[in-house]
Amino acid sequence: MTLIFKNLNVLRSTINAISTSIEVKEIVESAVNNLPNLFDFSSFGMFWKEDLLLFLYQEESCPPSFTQEVLKNMVKVFSILGEESIDVERISVQAENRKLRPRQMMMDQKPSLKSHLTLPLTVEGEILGCISLNSDQPNAFDAQDLQFLSVIGYQMAATLKHFQRLSSIKNIAIYDTLTGLFNRRYFEERLGVEAQKSFYGGTPLSLVMVDIDLFKKVNDTFGHTEGDQVLCRISSLLKSSVRKKDTVARYGGEEFILILPEAGLEESFVIAERMRRLVENTVFEIGEVQVNLTLSMGISNFPSHRAKSKEELVKMADQALYDAKRGGRNKVCIFAGKSSQWTVPT
Amino acid sequence: MAPAVKDEKGGKWSSDLVLDLYSNLLTEMWELVSALIGEAILAYLFTLAIRKIGEKYPFLNSIKISEDGVSMEEVKQDYRTVAAAEIHRGFQSLINHLSQLFSALAEGVINKEVFPRVFPKFKEADRIISQK
Repeated sequence: MTLIFKNLNVLRSTINAISTSIEVKEIVESAVNNLPNLFDFSSFGMFWKEDLLLFLYQEESCPPSFTQEVLKNMVKVFSILGEESIDVERISVQAENRKLRPRQMMMDQKPSLKSHLTLPLTVEGEILGCISLNSDQPNAFDAQDLQFLSVIGYQMAATLKHFQRLSSIKNIAIYDTLTGLFNRRYFEERLGVEAQKSFYGGTPLSLVMVDIDLFKKVNDTFGHTEGDQVLCRISSLLKSSVRKKDTVARYGGEEFILILPEAGLEESFVIAERMRRLVENTVFEIGEVQVNLTLSMGISNFPSHRAKSKEELVKMADQALYDAKRGGRNKVCIFAGKSSQWTVPT
Repeated sequence: MAPAVKDEKGGKWSSDLVLDLYSNLLTEMWELVSALIGEAILAYLFTLAIRKIGEKYPFLNSIKISEDGVSMEEVKQDYRTVAAAEIHRGFQSLINHLSQLFSALAEGVINKEVFPRVFPKFKEADRIISQK
């Protein structure tokens, strides 16, 4: 009876540790830190389907052959449960060796997998992965071990599902659902961070406001579904033309905005010109019709344009874009004052 | 598909008797195994097994599985005219598949508890069918 109470207490604190974890690895750590007080085992693994990741904690003396056996067995069981075959080669294994057993229970010289308990991590009929308790001893686990492991598995699955939901909410909050670019809300937030860095650190910062010329005609002629496809195509062209540190966001309708940190006027112009030419030279196939489209762009820059706030920097880029439109479209303009004329560096 | 026949004694369809028998067995299995691995995992395994074996025995697709357990009401209503032997074979396949899943997960730990309950029911079903 005392042993059961002790085990239940260990189980309680394991569940508590799992439920308060804030990342996937921490969930596994929380479990594995308590497992030696509940089971006698050689290794414990958690397979996370979403990232094809296997976290494996194993006894110090576990040879690589044992790790491979456990990996293959977990993949085999998961494939049966998930009704999909998973290529072992595609799984990244994060294995860590540590002391999991009392000293008197050293592993054999050449241990092999003799028994296991493997349970799916399921929530609402969906399989997220699986956990596995493994041993080099035959018949190492009994019904009570299975009960305890299933309770731990439940909590792990529930916490993982919670993470998935949070991450999907985060995606909705920062991405534009049509184009997959960042949305305007995220742009504002990102610009706040970058502007602060530049205004206080003195590093350059450029904004490029982009508009698809005569896009209304596409929608009016071919319909909004086709228009949406064009927006997606142009979005990926924009995305492919920037540097890693740049932010490309959909500003609204057929307008986009780019944040180019540490980019001076000249560099921003080169990037914008590259985009303009790329779109100009791309043939968009809408149904059976081939269409050419162009972009107009406006650039503002800190410190060149002496903007005092991020809002002012946006206004300046917008003004430059307006100038590009007024100057005949398919142009990149740099902000040149309130009643500016469009200009390009030579 | 062979037609269903009436049981000699009670005038009840032999299919009804076999369905009752397996309904009881699945409920018993549910209670036993859910105590070991919990309702959510077990519901997942039952659903998986029914989907697989239901391809060959479509009447099994009417078994309703939730975390509350197994419900055979729809099967009993809609499939009482299916031959008892066919029902017997369908459930045998389902239970065999479930035991393979249990074995893949926990080797003998679950089946050790389940087997003693299953075999007498298989025999009982055989007896009902041979009575016709």
